[in-house]
Amino acid sequence: MSLAHMLLLTVAWPLALTALVAATLAWRHGRALVAQRSSGRYVMPPGLAGDWSYRGRVALWLSAPLPALAVALALPESTLILDWWLLGGVWQLDGVRRALLGFSALLWALAGVYAHGYLSGKARRARHGDQDAERDLQGFVLLWPLTLAGNLMLILAEDIASFYTGFALMTFAAYGLVVNAGSREAYRGGRAYLIMAILGEGMILAGLLWAAASAETLTLTGLREGLAVSPHANAMATLLWLGFGVKAGVIGLHVWLPLAHPVAPTPASAVLSGSMIKAGLLGWWQTLPLGLTALEGLGTVVMTLGLLAAFGAALYGVTQRHPKAVLAYSSVSQMGMMTALVGVGLLSPSLWPVLAPALMLFAVHHGLNKGALFLGVGITEHPPRWPGWLLWGLLVLPALSLAGALASGLSAKWVLKAGLYDAGWSGLVMLLTLAALGTSLLMARTLWCQAHAWKEAHRHGAAPAPLSMTLAWTLCALLAAAVPWWLALPEAPVGTVQAGELPPLGELPGLLWPVLLGAVLTAALVVACHLEPRLHTRLSRAERLPPGDLWQLYVRSTNVLMDGMRRGVARLANAQEAVQSTTTATGQWAMGWLTSLQRGEAWLRRWAVALMVVMIAGLWLALVR
Amino acid sequence: MSDNPGLLLATLAASLLVAPVIFLLPERAWLARTAFNLGAALLKLGLVALMVWGVARGENYAFGFTVVEGVSFQLRADPLGIMFAGLSSLLWLFTTLYAIGYLEGSDNRKRFFGFFSLCVASTLGIALAGNLFTFLLFYELLTLSTYPLVVHRGTPKALASGATYLRYTVSGGVLLLIGVVALHALAGEVNFGQREVLADLGPDYHPWLIGIFVLMMVGLGVKAALVPLHGWLPQAMVAPAPVSALLHAVAVVKAGAFGIVRVVYDVYGIAFSFELGLLTGLAIIASFTILYGSLRALAQVDIKRRLAFSTVSQVSYIMLGISLFGPMGTVAGLAHLLHQGLMKVTLFFCAGNYAEELGIHRIDELDGVGRRMPGTSLAFTLGALGMIGIPPLVGFLSKWYLGMGAIQAGMPWVIAVLVASSLLNAAYFLPILYRLWFKPGPLEGVGEWPHEQRLGRLETSGWLLWPALATAAFSLLAGIFAGLPFSPLSWASLIALQEYLP
Repeated sequence: MSLAHMLLLTVAWPLALTALVAATLAWRHGRALVAQRSSGRYVMPPGLAGDWSYRGRVALWLSAPLPALAVALALPESTLILDWWLLGGVWQLDGVRRALLGFSALLWALAGVYAHGYLSGKARRARHGDQDAERDLQGFVLLWPLTLAGNLMLILAEDIASFYTGFALMTFAAYGLVVNAGSREAYRGGRAYLIMAILGEGMILAGLLWAAASAETLTLTGLREGLAVSPHANAMATLLWLGFGVKAGVIGLHVWLPLAHPVAPTPASAVLSGSMIKAGLLGWWQTLPLGLTALEGLGTVVMTLGLLAAFGAALYGVTQRHPKAVLAYSSVSQMGMMTALVGVGLLSPSLWPVLAPALMLFAVHHGLNKGALFLGVGITEHPPRWPGWLLWGLLVLPALSLAGALASGLSAKWVLKAGLYDAGWSGLVMLLTLAALGTSLLMARTLWCQAHAWKEAHRHGAAPAPLSMTLAWTLCALLAAAVPWWLALPEAPVGTVQAGELPPLGELPGLLWPVLLGAVLTAALVVACHLEPRLHTRLSRAERLPPGDLWQLYVRSTNVLMDGMRRGVARLANAQEAVQSTTTATGQWAMGWLTSLQRGEAWLRRWAVALMVVMIAGLWLALVR
Repeated sequence: MSDNPGLLLATLAASLLVAPVIFLLPERAWLARTAFNLGAALLKLGLVALMVWGVARGENYAFGFTVVEGVSFQLRADPLGIMFAGLSSLLWLFTTLYAIGYLEGSDNRKRFFGFFSLCVASTLGIALAGNLFTFLLFYELLTLSTYPLVVHRGTPKALASGATYLRYTVSGGVLLLIGVVALHALAGEVNFGQREVLADLGPDYHPWLIGIFVLMMVGLGVKAALVPLHGWLPQAMVAPAPVSALLHAVAVVKAGAFGIVRVVYDVYGIAFSFELGLLTGLAIIASFTILYGSLRALAQVDIKRRLAFSTVSQVSYIMLGISLFGPMGTVAGLAHLLHQGLMKVTLFFCAGNYAEELGIHRIDELDGVGRRMPGTSLAFTLGALGMIGIPPLVGFLSKWYLGMGAIQAGMPWVIAVLVASSLLNAAYFLPILYRLWFKPGPLEGVGEWPHEQRLGRLETSGWLLWPALATAAFSLLAGIFAGLPFSPLSWASLIALQEYLP
C-alpha cells in the first residue's frame, strides 16, 4: 500500500457510503417483508428519517468528501496505476487536479452539512408518516455520495475509461438529485437535464472513441497529444467541445441549467452549479489540444460563442424572478467567459501556460462563490435570527466577489487581465470587463430577489434555518472569498502575476468600474421605478420570460422530427409484417394444395378397380396389336 | 488427433444424458429432477472451467471419428469454442435455478426440463463442434429442441409463434445445409481453423465462395436475427421467461451469431473474407440491424417485446465487431458475445419476476415497482445501463472496442452508428428506469398491481430473485475487473491475438 492508494480511497469512500446506505435500506426492507409475511398486505418498511438524529450516522454520511479534501491538501503529487480496473486505470494528482479536487471536496462537504439541516424538516414529516418525504430523503441520501464519487473520479482520472465512468456516474446520479422534490416542475427540469446530458454523453463518446482510437492511446494526455497532430483535429475537437459544452453550459446547450437549478434542492443546486458544471471545463482541459496546437476555426467559434453566452445570459438572466434561475443564468454567463478563454487557448497555444493558472483560479473562485450564493438562497428563505448587517454582509460578500469587486474575484480578474494584456488581447479584456458589468447586474438582481424572499419569510414567520445550514453557508462564503490564499493552485510561469496577488492601487479603477457602474445603474433603476410606476409595469412585463429560453423550441422541433421517424419505421415494420403474412399465406395455400392431393388420392382409391380394369384393357389392347 | 477426449465427452454427456433421465423420471419427482438438473449443471460448469484452465495453458482437447468417407464428426475445444461453452454452462446454471422457481406448480415440467437440457446440450455441441458438419448437426438439434419450449404454454398464440419460429429457422437451416454441402463439394472437408484451404483455391473459385458465404450468412442470419430475417424473435417472446432468457442470451440467437463468427474466422479466415470484400457488406447489414432494432424497440409497450427488439439490435454488435477487420474489432465482437449474454439474461429474468410477482407485462404498469421489488429493479437497472453502454458495466467495454476497431478498420462511420444506437438505447431504457424508481406507484396509493402474488419471503421467490442478482453482479464485475485474466475481455483479447498472429 503506497500513499498513492489514498487516491483510490478518495473515490471508494463515498462509494462505500452509498453501498452502506443501500444495504441499510435493503436490510430494513427485507426485515419488514419477512415480518409482514402473514399480514398479506405490503406495508412500507421504516426508512431513513429515523436516522436523522443519530449524530454518529450523520457524521459518517457527511464524511464522504473528507478523504478527497485531505488528499488535496496534504498528498504530494502522485500517480496510481490500477491494472485490474476497466481498461487499465491511471489516476493522478497534479496541480490542476489538486485545485479542482480541493475546491470540489470542500464545496461538497459544506453543501452536505447544509443538506442535513435543509432536509431536517422533511425528516420530521417523514417520521410522522409522510411517505413522499421519506421517499425524497432516501433518494437524496443514497444519490448524494454516489454523485460525489463520480465527480471525484472524473477529476482524478488520467485514463479515458475512468474519466468517462466518473462523468457518466455523476451525470446519471445527479438526475435523482435534480428531481428530488418530486414536483411537476422538478420532473420537467430533470427531463431537460437528462436529455441534454445524454446528447452530450453521445458526443463525448464519439469524440473520445474517435480521438483515442486514432491516437491508439488509453490516457487523456495521449488523447490530447494525438488529437493535436491528427488530420481530423477540428472535427474531433468540435465533438468533444460540444459534448462537454452541455455540462459547461455553452450557449444553445445551456437550456437545462435554468430549468434544473431552481427545482433541485438548494444544496444540490450549489454543487451542480459550483462543482459539477466545472466537469465540462475539465473535460475541455483534458481533451482539447490547449497549448499544443492552434485550431483557428474552432477557436474563433468557441471564443465568439463564449462571449455571446457571457452577454446573452446576463441580459436574459436579469429578467428572471426566481433567485436560483438568476444564479443559473449567471453560471451560464460566467462559464461563457471561461469558454471565451478556452477559445483563446485554442487560438494561441503559446499563451496557454499563462492562461491556464488564471483560468483555474477563475474556475475555482466561481465554483465556491456560486456555491455560497446558492446556499444563501436557502438562508434568506429561512432567515436566522441574526443582526441584519451580518446576514446581508455575508450574502453580499460572494456576490461582490463574483462581480470582481473584492477578494478572490478581484484577484482572479487581475491575474486574467494582466495575462491577456501582456499578450496583446486588449479587445477581449474590454469585452470581458463589459461582461463583468452584466455580472454585477445579475448579482444585484439576485440580491433583490433574495430581499423579496427575506421579507416574505419575515411576514410569514418562517422558521429560522438550523445551525448546520447557517454554519455551512457562512464557512462557504468566507472560504470562497479567501480561496486563492488557502488552496494550492497551479503555478503561473515566473514573471507573471501569481494567483493570490492583489492588484496595485493604480489598477483598481480599471478593474472596479463595471461593478460601480452596475451598482449605479441598479440604484438608478430602483429610484426611477419608484418615481415612475409605468416604467415599473413595463419592466415587469419582461419578467414573464420563461426560464430555459430555447428549451420549448427544441422540444417542439424534436417532436416533429420524431413523428416523422416513427412513421418511417412503422412503414418499414408494416412492410416486413406484410412479407411475413404473405409467406404464411403461401404456406397455407401450399398446405391446402397438398390436402387437395389427398382428396385426389381418395378419388383414386374409390375408382381403383375401375381404373385397373381400364388399364389392363388398355395394356391388353396394346399388346394384342 | 484424439488427445484428451475424456473431458470433452464428459462435458457433452453431462448435459446430453440429463435429457433422457429427466424424461424417464415421473412428473411428480420434483426433488429428484431438481437435484439431477442442478447437479449436472454444476458438474458441467466445473468441467468447462477445467477445460478453460487447460486451454489457457495450451492443452488440446479433441475427439473425432469418420462418419462416411470424407465426412467426419469432430469435437474440439479451442479458445473461441470454450468461451461460448463457458457462457452456455454458466447461464445454464442460473437459468435452471430460475426456471425451477418460475415453473413451480405448473404442468408439464418434465417435458420442459427435458427439452431445456437438450437445448443446452446442443448449444454446447455447437460451441465444441470442430467442423461445419458437426456444427450443423447440433445447430439443427437446437432448432428442434427449442420448439417445444417456445410453445410450452400451448395457447393458440404460442402455437402460432412456434409455427413462425419453425418456418424461419427450418428455412434458414436448409440454406445453411446447401451452403455447407456446396462448400464440401468445392473444397472437401474443412475443419475449423484450417483457414488456408479456401484461400488456396485460387481466384476462379471466388465467385462461388462469395455466393456460398452469402448463402450461409442468410442461413445463420435467421437465428442471429439479422434484419430482415428477425421476424420470429419478437413473436417467440410468448415463451416462458426462462426460455426467453436462454433464447436471447445464449441458445438460439447466440448460436446464429456464433455460427457467423465460426464461418468468418475459422472457415474463410478473417483475412480472406476481407480480401473477398465480404466484411463491408456484413458491417452495413449489422449497422442497419442495430439501428432498426433500436427504433422498433422504442415503439413497443410490452416489456418482453421491447427486450426482444433490443436483442435484435444488440446481437448485431457481435456481427459488427467481426466485420471490422483488425484485432480490436474481433475483441469487440467476441467480448460482446459474452457481455450481451450476461446483460440480456438479467433483463429477461427481471421481466419474468415482474410478471410472476405482480402480473406486470406492460411498461406503463411499472410505475413505482422499484420500491416494491428493489432487488429485481436494481438488477434491471444494471442490465439496462449496461445495454446503453454506461461504464463500468460490460456494455461500455464492447462499445469502446467497437469504436477502436472501427477506426482501425478505416470505417469511422461506425462510430456514428454506435452513438446513435447508444442514444436510442437510452431513449428506450431510461423511461423504464424512470418509471421504476421515480414514479409513484401502488405503494404510494396510485393505482394497483395487476395481479399481485406473494411468492416468497422476500420481494419474490428466492429462486427468481437470486439468479437475476447474480447475473447482474456478473455484468458489473466483468466490467470493473476487465483487466484481470479470465475476464470476458481478456479471453476475447487472447483469441484475437491468436487470430491475427500467425
